Amino acid sequence: MSQRTERRGGIHVDQSDLLCKKGCGYYGNAAWQGLCSKCWREEYQRVRQKQIQDDWALAEKLQREEEAAYASSHGPQTQPPSQSTPPHPQPGHASLGPFSKFEEKKTNEKTRKVTTVKKFFSPSSRSAPKKETQEGKTPSPSVSRRASFDTDQVSKDFVDFLKNLQKPGREIHKQCRAFIGNMSSKKDLSADELSECVQDFYQNLADRLMGHFKCSSESVEQVMDQVEKYIMTRLYKSVFCPETTDDEKKDLATQNRIRALHWVTIEMLCVSFDEEIPEVSENVVKAITDVIEMDSKRVPRDKLSCITRCSKHIFSAIRITKKEPASADDFLPALIYIVLKANPPRLQSNIQYITRFCNPSRLMTGEDGYYFTNLCCAAAFIEKLDAQSLNLSPEEFERYMSGQASPRCSGSEEDWSSPAPAPTNPVLAQLNQNLEVLSGLSGRQEALMEAAHSLQADLLSWPESVQHEVHDILKKYPLEVLPRSAPAIDDNNDVDNDNLPPPLTPQVV
Amino acid sequence: MGEKLPQVQGDPQLRRDTLSRPVRTLRAKMVLLGSSGVGKSSLALRFCKDEFRNTSPTVGCAYLTQVMHLSDVTLRFEIWDTAGEEKYHSVTPLYYRGAHAALLVYDVSKRDTFIRAQVWLRELEKQYVAGSTVLWLVGNKGDLAQHRQVSVQEGQSLANDRGLLFTETSALSGDQVDKLLLAVAHRVYECVGAQQGGLSEWQETPHVDLRRRNHLFASCCKVGP
Repeated sequence: MSQRTERRGGIHVDQSDLLCKKGCGYYGNAAWQGLCSKCWREEYQRVRQKQIQDDWALAEKLQREEEAAYASSHGPQTQPPSQSTPPHPQPGHASLGPFSKFEEKKTNEKTRKVTTVKKFFSPSSRSAPKKETQEGKTPSPSVSRRASFDTDQVSKDFVDFLKNLQKPGREIHKQCRAFIGNMSSKKDLSADELSECVQDFYQNLADRLMGHFKCSSESVEQVMDQVEKYIMTRLYKSVFCPETTDDEKKDLATQNRIRALHWVTIEMLCVSFDEEIPEVSENVVKAITDVIEMDSKRVPRDKLSCITRCSKHIFSAIRITKKEPASADDFLPALIYIVLKANPPRLQSNIQYITRFCNPSRLMTGEDGYYFTNLCCAAAFIEKLDAQSLNLSPEEFERYMSGQASPRCSGSEEDWSSPAPAPTNPVLAQLNQNLEVLSGLSGRQEALMEAAHSLQADLLSWPESVQHEVHDILKKYPLEVLPRSAPAIDDNNDVDNDNLPPPLTPQVV
Repeated sequence: MGEKLPQVQGDPQLRRDTLSRPVRTLRAKMVLLGSSGVGKSSLALRFCKDEFRNTSPTVGCAYLTQVMHLSDVTLRFEIWDTAGEEKYHSVTPLYYRGAHAALLVYDVSKRDTFIRAQVWLRELEKQYVAGSTVLWLVGNKGDLAQHRQVSVQEGQSLANDRGLLFTETSALSGDQVDKLLLAVAHRVYECVGAQQGGLSEWQETPHVDLRRRNHLFASCCKVGP
């Protein structure tokens, strides 16, 4: 450190100027604001850290302000969210939001522990139990209102129904309650085992009614319908789409699949609908509504009747279009089309649920069974659907699937597809507009970031350039201490005083 | 309604002894398989043309029912039509699950439908449980004799080779259709109905009638312990 570095010609720089400003003993560098490399790095980190902290603080402050503003505007309505609040409007069609349902389900799992002992109702009959506590089913506060109302109603109906059966009625009620209690302790079983339990219970109860109480098969069937309704309403929460299965994953896969197939048209599936006829399109809408409604039902039989209603609307639509009764060759493609258009929430879960917990004879035979089988076929077909099944070339299929092309835009099917895109077009237009706005915004943000970066670079290089300038000027005009060549001007010497007029003197008037 | 009430009481065996008309009604599921255009739907309509209490008229001919009266039993056929197009072939097994009878239909004037029928047959045989399903080969459109591409002998020999029953029909003229259904009914009752639980009982009113529920268990409570 004591060694003297070479002196730049004419520039007088003190050694201390070259050293790090922090005084660590190393040499500094102008580019690093006179710091040595080590101190510069430390300083730079410190500044950055501070900036990050400042940003955070600013963000937090903004957030608080926003919350305060929100709270002041919604102040009177906000309530502690822990309690269920009756005035809150319940989602009328929970089926419309499959994801919120998933969310709900998760919430239910969490809030299961919440102990809300509730008196459902007090049945007037002395044969019925005086009180019914929660039986392994604790609805989350957000849905408890409607759910418990449903459950109340079903329990009431069930008790009313059994009251008329007297002794067998009491026996049935006892068995059902015992079974539900049993089931609530079996949550860890797989879905198939649960299904077996329920099916065994149906079978045993039916056998007992037949054998012990000598009931006719007709009345047994009636009783079993009521039992199914009662039991499945109560078990629904724990056995529908249980976490032990991958039903939920399949639901999402199917949903995405159907979404990706949004471009499939009536002609591709060879469906004989003429949606220009108002009656036909009305039936199509009703069919779509029915198949979507299936998800909102809890009892397998109710779900089946939704499917049956949907199917009947499809038959009507075909019959109006073709003016002759529809055959299976017309029906299945039409159902596939309806499923594609409706994208029913939790389709796979519902199919699985019905398969597991419905009376099997109802699924294999009977009208409901026929339509349910068709729905299963439609779901299976959609899963496997490929170019060939739509009479497309593989290239076309790929293009449509990837969204590079749309059959609606090709114009060749203008006359056919004109009614179909009408409802989707405003949505698509809005979507496109939003996308445009978004891409414009992102472009502007990028430009902004670029400008900010260049500004930062400018700012960093500015001291350097100033220093350079100073250097250059110093180089150009080296500091020279000149010897005192001219005599100093003596202010006290009155050489010119004679030329000046005499000073004014104050006069008294 | 009044006629049905006495039937409600007692189990099937009891009823046979106590009622003057000792008839049980059993339900049987029949599936129609075959390429599109071979006349499955027309055949199904023919099967059911006589039934006065048909399913509601707005419903098409994909699901139909027909009651067959045999000597000591009544079979209520549920006829399931299937989509014949080849692209739906992979999902068809869902239809014939639990069927008591499967009719393999082909068009005698189109050879390719006969070949397709053999494909269906192979598919069916994979799922086939001996004695649980009656398989029947049906050559339809027998009225189109001048365009015939598949001879009666061909159909018959295929049926003999694979252990099927064989009939040629004409859904257009109705020729042989009634006989076919009756034959199927007999065969189903012989093969399947004999087994324990092969066919389930059919109830006329599966819905709860609120006015009648007081009588539901009126008798069984007296009988019960």
